[in-house]
Amino acid sequence: MTSTGRLAIGVWLAFVAACIFVIARTQFSTDLAAFLPRSPMPAQQILVDELRDGVVSRLILIGIESAPQDRLAAVSRGLAARLGQDARLAYVANGAQDRLRADGEFLLRNRYLLSAAVAPEHFSVAGLRAALERQLDLLGSPASVLVGPLLPRDPTGEFLHLLEQLREEGGPDKHGDVWFARDGSRALLVAQTRAPGFDLDAQEQAHAAIHAAFEQAAREHRVDGARLLLSGPGVFAVNARAGIKQDALRFSLIATILVSAVLLIAYHSVRVLGLTLVPVASGVLAGIAAVSLAFGSVHGVTLGFGATLIGEAVDYAIYLFTNTAPGSPPQAALKRIWPTLRLGVLTSVLGCAAMLFSGFPGLAQLGLFSIAGLVTAAAVTRWVLPELVPHGYSVRAVDTLAPGLLRLIARGRVLRIPVIATVLVLAVWLALQGGTPWNDELSGLSPVSASDKRMDEALRNDLGAPDVRQLIVVKGESEQAALETAERVGVVLAGLQSGGLLAGYDSPARYLPSVAAQHARQRAIPDAEKLRRDLAQAAAGLPFRAGVFAPFVEDAQTAKRHPALMRADLHGTALALKLEALLAQRRSQWFAMLPLRGVADAAALEAEIARFGPQGVVLLDLKRESDALYQGYRTRVLKVALLGAAAIALLLAAALRSLRRAWEVLAPLAAAVIVTVAILIAGGDRLNIFHVVALLLVIGVGSNYTLFFERRNMANATPERTVTSLLFCNLSTVIGFGVIGFASTPVLSAIGSTVAIGAFLSLVFAAILTEKSERKEKREKRKG
Amino acid sequence: MTSGPIRRHRAEATAAALVFIAGLLGGACSWAQEQAAGWSLEKLMRDLGQVQSAKARFVERKYLKVLNAPLELRGTLTYSAPGRLEKRTHTPKPETLTLDGDKLTIENQARRESRSLRLQDYPVLRAFIESIRSTLSGDIQALERFYRVELEGVPAQWRLYLVPRDQEMRTVISLIRIGGSRDRVDLIEVNEANGDRSVMKVYKEDR
Repeated sequence: MTSTGRLAIGVWLAFVAACIFVIARTQFSTDLAAFLPRSPMPAQQILVDELRDGVVSRLILIGIESAPQDRLAAVSRGLAARLGQDARLAYVANGAQDRLRADGEFLLRNRYLLSAAVAPEHFSVAGLRAALERQLDLLGSPASVLVGPLLPRDPTGEFLHLLEQLREEGGPDKHGDVWFARDGSRALLVAQTRAPGFDLDAQEQAHAAIHAAFEQAAREHRVDGARLLLSGPGVFAVNARAGIKQDALRFSLIATILVSAVLLIAYHSVRVLGLTLVPVASGVLAGIAAVSLAFGSVHGVTLGFGATLIGEAVDYAIYLFTNTAPGSPPQAALKRIWPTLRLGVLTSVLGCAAMLFSGFPGLAQLGLFSIAGLVTAAAVTRWVLPELVPHGYSVRAVDTLAPGLLRLIARGRVLRIPVIATVLVLAVWLALQGGTPWNDELSGLSPVSASDKRMDEALRNDLGAPDVRQLIVVKGESEQAALETAERVGVVLAGLQSGGLLAGYDSPARYLPSVAAQHARQRAIPDAEKLRRDLAQAAAGLPFRAGVFAPFVEDAQTAKRHPALMRADLHGTALALKLEALLAQRRSQWFAMLPLRGVADAAALEAEIARFGPQGVVLLDLKRESDALYQGYRTRVLKVALLGAAAIALLLAAALRSLRRAWEVLAPLAAAVIVTVAILIAGGDRLNIFHVVALLLVIGVGSNYTLFFERRNMANATPERTVTSLLFCNLSTVIGFGVIGFASTPVLSAIGSTVAIGAFLSLVFAAILTEKSERKEKREKRKG
Repeated sequence: MTSGPIRRHRAEATAAALVFIAGLLGGACSWAQEQAAGWSLEKLMRDLGQVQSAKARFVERKYLKVLNAPLELRGTLTYSAPGRLEKRTHTPKPETLTLDGDKLTIENQARRESRSLRLQDYPVLRAFIESIRSTLSGDIQALERFYRVELEGVPAQWRLYLVPRDQEMRTVISLIRIGGSRDRVDLIEVNEANGDRSVMKVYKEDR
C-alpha cells in the first residue's frame, strides 16, 4: 500500500469516526411542519404554529371498545381517575366530571365580571322587574330545584346566563355518566398533553402513560379483550415517526440484501461485495452528520431518504470494480472512468443543490443530505476503495454477459423511431392533463395512514367535535388589545348568529373578558342604596318575601369593587384551559382565535370581518389555507427542480464542450422523465413534491448511464465492461428503489417507485437513443 | 224487550255497586292476601310498567321560602310509555314542559320562548325528573340507580319514599314521596334540602 493510500484510509477512518460522533448526538424529528415553508403569509404562519404546538396539536382522543357497556364505563372511570393524577396530561375528561360545576363557586363569585349580559338596563327598575317575573316563572318549573337556592343571591339570573354562555353545545351522548359513541359501543375520553405536539418524545411518553393506565383499569375491573383507541395530531406524529423508522429500516434492509445477492453473483467475492457498500455507508453517515450539524436535527423523511441513497452511491463502486480489467490495477480503471464518474456526481449534486436553496427546511435537508452523501461516496470510491480491492481482482461475469448485451443494444436501435414517437405522444398527453395530476392537498404529504385517518374521523364524530375549519384570528400588541378586538368581533359574530348566518362561535373573551369590558360591567352596577330602592320598587306586587334579596345587593357591591380578573385568576379552572387554547403569545404578538361553527354564508362573513381592516383581524379557512400553502410550496419546488435541470444542462454543455453532446446525454433522460410521469399518472397516482424530488434523483442516476454510453469509445474502454457495469448499476438501483416503492409511508413509496421506473427507463432509452459512436466518429472524420 | 236498556243500565249500576263494595271489603282483606301473594316493589313497578299511556289533571303547590305565599299551578299531565312525559301548565301562566328521552323542552307561551336541554348535562335535574318518569314506566333499575327506595302501604294505597343516593343530590333534594293506588300515581311530593317543598296532586282526567 502506498503512503498516499495509507493517508487516504487514515483520513477516511477519522472522517467516519467524526460522523458517528456527530450522529450519536443527533435529534430526530418527524414534524410535518419542517416540510412547510419558512416564511409564509402571516395567516399561514399562524396555521403552521398551530400545527406545531397549538393546543389542538396536544389533543388526544381516546376510545375504549369491545366490552359490555357497563364494563366500558367502569374502565373509562378508572382510566380517567388514573390519568387525572398524571403530570404529563393537562387534563382528561370522560363526561363524568362537569368541569363547569367544579368551577361553580368561582363562576358564581365572579359572575358580574364574567357574564356578557351585565349591562345598566339589567339594574333598572324595569330590568329588575322583568328578571323577577322570569324567576317567578322558573320557580314554577322543575328548574326551581336549581334556581331556588340561588335566588336570594342572584335574582337577575346572572349565574345561569354565565353557565349558558360557557356551556358547550352538543357534546357526546352519555350512558351512565360517561361519554359514549351514539351506538353505545365505545366509551369516549378526551385528554390534552402538557407537552407541545411537536415534542414527539414527550408525546410518546404520554401515550405510553395512557396505555399503562388503561391496562391497569382493565385489570382492576376484570375486563378482558377491551381495546384502547388513541387518535389526534400527536398520536399521528408518533405513529408516523415509528412508521417511517420501521419502513426505512425494513426496506433498506430488504433492498440491501437483494442488491447484495445480485452483486455477489456478479462479483463472486464476499470481500468485494463488502467493499461496494463502503462508499454507500460512508455517504449515509456523512449525510446524516452534515444535516445534523447544519440544521440541529434530522427529519425522519430525510433519514428515510438516506436508504434510497444506496441506489445511487452503490453505482460508484460497481463502475470501479466492473471496469477493472484482469491483470491491471483498479487505479488504471479509475483513471479511465473517473472523468465520466466525476461529471455524473457533479450532475447529481447540482440537482440536489436546487433543493438546498429551495427555502423549505425539510427539502433543504434532503438536498444537503444527498450532496454530502454523494460527494463522500464518490471520494471514498476514488481514493479509499482502490487501496482495499484484492490484488488482481476482476469481474468475470463480464465475459459471459457482455456479448449478449452488446447484441441487444445493437438491435435495440431499431426501436429509436417508435420510442421517440411514443415519448412525443405521451408528452402531448401530459400537457393536456393540465393541473389535474397534482395532488393539491397538504394532507397528501401527510405520513398519516388512511386507517388512522378513518379512526380519527370516527372518534371525532362520536365526540361531536368535528375539525374546526374556519376561524377568525385577531392580532394584538398586548393581551388586552387582542381581547378587546376579539370582543368587538364577537359583537359582529353574535349579530350574524342571530341572523342565522352562523351556527356558533367561541372566543377567548368569553373566558377572560378584557379589563375594559370588566370595568364597564362594574360601572353598570348601581350603588347599594339605589339598588335596594329600585329592587323594592320592582318587586312591588310580586309574592317575594321582604328582604329576601339582601345577599344579592351584597354580592353586587362586592363585584363592583373587585379588581378586574386577570389570566392568573383563572388558574386551575376549566376557563384557563379554554383561554390557553384560544389566546396565545407568539413572537411578542398576541393572537386571539375565534373558531366558527356552521358558517352559512362565507362571503357575508368575510365582508363583515373585512370592516375591521386586514391588519388585526383575519378570517382563516384552515383547509383552504393549508392547501394554498401546499400549492405554493409545490410550485416553488417545481421551479427549483426546473432550475436544477437547467443547471445540469449547462454543466453538461460546459463539461462536454458541445451543445450537441449535452443534448445526446440529456435527451434519453428527458424521455425517461416524461414516460415515468405518464406511467405514474396512468397508474392512478397524483403527483406531490416527493415525486418531483424523486425525478431529480432519476436525472442524477440516469445521467451516469447516458454519460457512459456517450463516452463509451471516447474513453478507450472495452465496451463489454462498460455495458456490464451499467447493467449491474441499473439492476441494483431498480431493486433498491423498487423495494422501497412498497413501503407504506407515502413519501418513501413515492420516491421508490418513481426512481425505480425512471432509472430503468433511463438506461433503456440511453441504449436506444444514444447515437452509435462509430457512426458519429465516421461523420466527424468526414467533416474533418 | 223494551225494558232491555233500562234493565241493562240497572244491571250495570248493580255491578258497579257490587264492585265498589267488594273493593271496600277487598281493601280490608286483600292486604293480608296480597302480602302473602308477595306484593312488593317489584310487583308494583311491574303493574306501573303495564300502563301504556295516561292523562291526568294536576294541582301543584310549591311552598318556597323566598315567597310569602305558596305558588299554585294547575294543568294536565300526559304520559306515554316508556319515556315521554308532558306537563302542561294552564295557570297561572301557560307553559309546556316536554320530556322525550333525554331531551327536555320548555315552552313558555307567554314569552314565546322555547328551549331544549339534554338532561345528561344537568345531573340534579335529571335525577329529579327520573324519579317521576322511572316510577311511571316501572323502571325499577333506573329508579334504584338514583334513589334508595322504600315502599309502604297496600296496592290500593301505596307510598314510595325516595332518598337520593348521591351526596351532592342530597344537598338539593332530601326526600321525594310518590303516592298512588294500584297502577296510578296520585301524589308527588318533593322535599328540598333547604326546606322548600312542593306537593303535586294528580287527578284522573274526566272523560
